[in-house]
Amino acid sequence: MDSVAADAAMAGPGAGPAIYFDGLSSRRQAVVVTFKEQLEISGEGLSPVALSPVSLAPVSWAYSDIRRVDGGPGILRVACLSAPSLARLEIRDAALATELVSRCTQLGESHLGGRGVAKIVGWSLAATISIVAVVLFAIPLVADRLAPLVPESFERRLGDAADLQVKTIFGDRICNDPAGKAAFSKLVDTLRKSVDLDINVESSVLSTPIPNAFALPGGRVYLLNGLLAKADNPDEIAGVLAHELGHLKHRDSVREMIYNGGTSFLIGLLFGDVTGSSAVIFASRSLVTSSYSRDAEQNADSFAIDVMEKLGRSPKPMGELLFRVTGKEGNKALSILASHPLTEDRLKRMSDADRPAGGQPLLTATEWAALKSICGSGAKT
Amino acid sequence: MNQASFVPQHPPALPPVPVAFSGNRGDFFRLAARGAALELVTVGFYRFWLVTDIRRHLWSHTVVDGDAAEYTGRAKELLIGFLFALAILVPIYLAYFLISVEAERYKAFASFPLVVGFYAFGQFAIYRARRYRLTRTVWRGVRFWMDGSGWAYAWRAMLWGLLAFLTIGLALPWREAALERYKMRHSYYGDLQGSFEGSGWELFKRCWWLWLLSPLAIVLFPLAPFFYAEFKAREWRWWLSGIRFGGVSLESALPRTAFYGLYWKLIGWFMLLSTAMGIFIAVLGFLLTKMTGADLADSATPVTLSQSLPLVIVGAIGYLALILSLNVVMRLYLQRDVWARVSETTQLHGIEAAANVAARGDPASALGEGFADGLDVAGF
Repeated sequence: MDSVAADAAMAGPGAGPAIYFDGLSSRRQAVVVTFKEQLEISGEGLSPVALSPVSLAPVSWAYSDIRRVDGGPGILRVACLSAPSLARLEIRDAALATELVSRCTQLGESHLGGRGVAKIVGWSLAATISIVAVVLFAIPLVADRLAPLVPESFERRLGDAADLQVKTIFGDRICNDPAGKAAFSKLVDTLRKSVDLDINVESSVLSTPIPNAFALPGGRVYLLNGLLAKADNPDEIAGVLAHELGHLKHRDSVREMIYNGGTSFLIGLLFGDVTGSSAVIFASRSLVTSSYSRDAEQNADSFAIDVMEKLGRSPKPMGELLFRVTGKEGNKALSILASHPLTEDRLKRMSDADRPAGGQPLLTATEWAALKSICGSGAKT
Repeated sequence: MNQASFVPQHPPALPPVPVAFSGNRGDFFRLAARGAALELVTVGFYRFWLVTDIRRHLWSHTVVDGDAAEYTGRAKELLIGFLFALAILVPIYLAYFLISVEAERYKAFASFPLVVGFYAFGQFAIYRARRYRLTRTVWRGVRFWMDGSGWAYAWRAMLWGLLAFLTIGLALPWREAALERYKMRHSYYGDLQGSFEGSGWELFKRCWWLWLLSPLAIVLFPLAPFFYAEFKAREWRWWLSGIRFGGVSLESALPRTAFYGLYWKLIGWFMLLSTAMGIFIAVLGFLLTKMTGADLADSATPVTLSQSLPLVIVGAIGYLALILSLNVVMRLYLQRDVWARVSETTQLHGIEAAANVAARGDPASALGEGFADGLDVAGF
């Protein structure tokens, strides 16, 4: 330190040694900086440390153009707006650096100050609010508007694609009892006819203990044997199938696809990189999408009630079947997280719509028995 | 150190020049901790600023031949690059979706090959992101830069990847060497062209036994960190020792055991923090059920407990705290400490070749970084 200070003193007040890179080559030039009107950088003259083999034409930098850039520890490294963008001046002597700092009015902070951080936080909050608003309001609206515009042929293609996956997964577990199949087709076609859906695609019962049923875009219906085993009469199954067809009629699958796709894409991409945040994203997304699908479920239930009434049957058995499958749900799960309305609420709605069956039974007793044993004598569930 | 910098740098500069890392660990910790907190507050948007700050810290404390490097990239560039990448990725994702529906209709799960397309795109992004970082690296007033094509690189990466897949990983060293050759051949410091002299065979000779023993690490999993640390150290050493810029060559003396401590400390912190989080959840959950006992008393089975709302909130807070601290720990060990250890064991031969290099090359756009961010890929 002493020798450097001595050098500066020798160079006279207001001057001192520095290292200069001209930004045009990597040549390291020992220079003398002199504080005049402007900062003068010269490679010749007083300094005993002027080592550069090629003498440097004097350069002067206006103090107001000088900006601080990153240097190593204990080094003041500056650039100049009016010089080549990578020209650098390095001052390693603390006193000289202080002198330069005091003269440069717009040296700038090397790092973000509190105000810059506040700005980023503010903009991020604004962006978050806007994204949340888009997810909550804009995407459902877009999904509602877009779903009817999606051509039915495309929807059928989606159904075909999904059907291939179902067949790949359950391929060997499609129940094939001929009498049962005939009964199932009769039931499904009665329902599909009453709601104007394509009756030319095949529907099946799958041999799996899971109590559920689903319908694919285009009108294919799959019933899982677990549900069939728990059912006591055709109306129970018919109600559930009508509910699934209601989803198709309302084009819920397309809507939900647009909605889920849009939401996850937005949230996933924007908040991307915070390691592990995907779990939080997933959680917040499932909150949103489940409330969305609860609306859809409610509508599908209404649809099922209408269809059953149109066929002259009571919707109540469907509610009873669901109740038999899930049991009482209240208190068990956070209702805000559930994708379906609570079963007891659904049962209540369907019981309210109960009326004595006026129409033809949907299946005869023999057909019903055949359907029940479609997966082979009812032993396997 | 100050004095040494003023000593003449004349030839003969025959002895190799060491690389020094002068960064203070405490400074880096504060940087990472503050950044992690801000990342939480800004739901992740601060990542552009944090990444930039970390690079500036690492670059400006890496001293080669008495002069510290400089990182001239700025967070706003990354943000803009990210937004552009987003605008390009949206239609790509849409097209991806439509094509995958068609493919699935043709045959179940036939859309799987499309994933390969995204992998290729990821490789492209890696190349372009490297280009961005390199053109923002300045030493002695001259920037590094890169040409070459991201797609040509992605193509090579794919073919070599296929070969590595077919040979269950045996071809990986050659893949790495070939890709590194491509990258370095297209890298420049001013008008000094880079090249890579490491060979796949060399890397293979150093690591084959690790490849053979890797199934053992699955059975005896405490061995895995050792294996990984050993592999990483050998890989780094091989990689650095192969780098050339004109007449300047790098040589790494990184000991093969260099990372053992790092990985174990990292694992220790992971376990400590996870345990702390578990205790935190348990205690708070217990207190909460005590306070709101009336609500839950009638159905206080474990299943219902895990689904009560206050606990979900407490859990989320604990989870975020855990993620934050893990983030800091990972940055500290895997970025800062690895960087420090690797640079301190590196030497440069023939530095005089870089004494008077003419500046060339322009800064590249940050679009590549944006893609890499959007696709969640990372690479050197």
